[in-house]
Amino acid sequence: MKIGKLIRLARGNLVRELGALAVSAGGVALGTGCLVFFLALGAGLQGVVNQVFPVSTREVEVVVPQLAIGNLLGEQKIDDATVQKLRALRGVAAAYPKMQLRVPAVTRFSGPFFGRELRMGLEVVATGLMPELIGEDARMPFEDRGESQPVPVVVNRRLLELYNKVFAPQRNLPRLTDSMLVGFQIPLELGRSWVVSRSLPDSQETSMQVVGFSERATLAGVSMPLAAIRRINRKYGADADTYSSVLVRAQSADDVGEVAAGVRKLGLEIDDTEQRYAVQIGAAVELVTLALSLLAALITGLAAVNTMQAFYASVRERTREIGVLRAVGATRGDVAAVVLAEAAATGLAGGVLGVILARVAGALLDQIARTGLPDFPFKPSTFFTFHTGHLALGVGVALLAALLGAFLPARAAARLDPAKALTES
Amino acid sequence: MSAIELRGVAKQYPPREPGSLPQDLLRGVDLTVRRGEFVAIEGQSGSGKSTLLHVLGGLDREFVGEALVLGCDLRAVTDAELAALRHTQIGFVFQSFNLLPALTALENVLLPDFFGDGVPDAERRAREALDRVGLADKARAHPAALSGGERQRVAIARALVARPPLLLADEPTGNLDARTGEGVIDLFRQLHREGMTLLIVTHEARVSHAATRILVLREGRLHADGAEAMETE
Repeated sequence: MKIGKLIRLARGNLVRELGALAVSAGGVALGTGCLVFFLALGAGLQGVVNQVFPVSTREVEVVVPQLAIGNLLGEQKIDDATVQKLRALRGVAAAYPKMQLRVPAVTRFSGPFFGRELRMGLEVVATGLMPELIGEDARMPFEDRGESQPVPVVVNRRLLELYNKVFAPQRNLPRLTDSMLVGFQIPLELGRSWVVSRSLPDSQETSMQVVGFSERATLAGVSMPLAAIRRINRKYGADADTYSSVLVRAQSADDVGEVAAGVRKLGLEIDDTEQRYAVQIGAAVELVTLALSLLAALITGLAAVNTMQAFYASVRERTREIGVLRAVGATRGDVAAVVLAEAAATGLAGGVLGVILARVAGALLDQIARTGLPDFPFKPSTFFTFHTGHLALGVGVALLAALLGAFLPARAAARLDPAKALTES
Repeated sequence: MSAIELRGVAKQYPPREPGSLPQDLLRGVDLTVRRGEFVAIEGQSGSGKSTLLHVLGGLDREFVGEALVLGCDLRAVTDAELAALRHTQIGFVFQSFNLLPALTALENVLLPDFFGDGVPDAERRAREALDRVGLADKARAHPAALSGGERQRVAIARALVARPPLLLADEPTGNLDARTGEGVIDLFRQLHREGMTLLIVTHEARVSHAATRILVLREGRLHADGAEAMETE
């Protein structure tokens, strides 16, 4: 039986039994709609997690073990020689050392701040990074220009998000954007601390200038050029030779395991705190998505049972017609194909409707979230990510549910004795 | 060469109620129908006429004995081969028309074209068949919009569209008024003149009288009615 003729024959029956089949398609639509909705919600939330905890699959943060015996004896350290050893490890593409500012520093600001009067004093925590690590995120030169020039700083985007969503609303301060802040200068006093209320003998007043925003920048404070940190640490007699950590980039994600083993052989360890957070939260999101998807699968299963009942009733009602089909030359397979074609059409309609329902429900909830929920850090513009694969899966599951539901009725129709079917009243 | 060859065909229905005996509907039926013959089988209601027709049409395979239709041993072929036989070699006309209500008259006539390898030049043949039964103008009408006589003529057109050599009809005029029934009988006469083999089960004398041979099904066996009917013009 040719597919075009099969569709023509099935179409006639579908039109006639539109009411009953619409109920079946509605059930399938509800199940697959829920499935697509929950999968899109899971993907959307996973996107938020990735935004809050951006994790690279190729990079690891190498630190000195906190409880190493060598560390207690002052022997375990990361110096230039160690960085060279890390760079020489098999599978390593690059290694970028980082150094903490080991000198107390504060900032004190008093004056107009983007249209508001601001008075504040903050302890400055800074990390030195190699300019290559920041790359094009720096919109102005990210390099040490000497003692007389402002120290360029790069700020983590997540810090700006926290300022805009938490700090600014609480203090009635203006919300800021990247472009507003790039070039902005803030006073910096080196060798002074608010915490211990003391100043080093040759404390120095200078300034720092925001030159860009980057995910590479430290989340706890600001990031300065490594050369600037080394210069400041050296000037105040602090350690300017050892690094606080090294970002090691593997040649590929597959090399990370081997790189990690090499790092451990050097007596160092990998700080994966942020990765663990990302993995744990990601796993929680996946678990909830899985549970909700199973619920959706259950609804789809019930829809399949409903489809089965509808098609059993349809086959019972059409017993005589099935006898006629057999009389004019239909094989058992042809009869089953007609019933399954009707089920496929029902499933496709249900699947498409389910996808539309999921998208409409997602848009509705996004709208409610936009207007009804307070603005919080990392609040996404949408909580849903509708991947094409999810939509295809939704339609596929709907099709499968309808076909599975109609399988037994189709088999029963195919097995009808044509002579008995023709005498059915 | 015979179109139909039955030898000792018997069929038993299981008992209707527990404790009762099985019902013998056909008890060793022997029948030979030559190609081009017009045979009418008479019998009382419940005598097994329709059952015999279902056996001949390959719709009922649960019988004993031998049955050859157009050279095909009905008990030896597969289900698919039997479907192909019904598709190309046998046309069926039923008492209650058995049209598909979701399809138009033309689509109902085209029904055999949906299956197997289809019917060559199906649409033209279907329109010709409708024209032949006088319903060319009703091609797009659905069965619900047709009278009983018109429905039966659509059913006959459907049986003719594949141009089968054998036509089996089960009480084809049973649900028609005298005038409409006469039109159907005339059509059968015409088909017979064109060389088609017809086997019609009926309890109406006016239908039997159109046939060249009349047989009576009584107590599960076929009997000649004693006189060969004259072929009527």
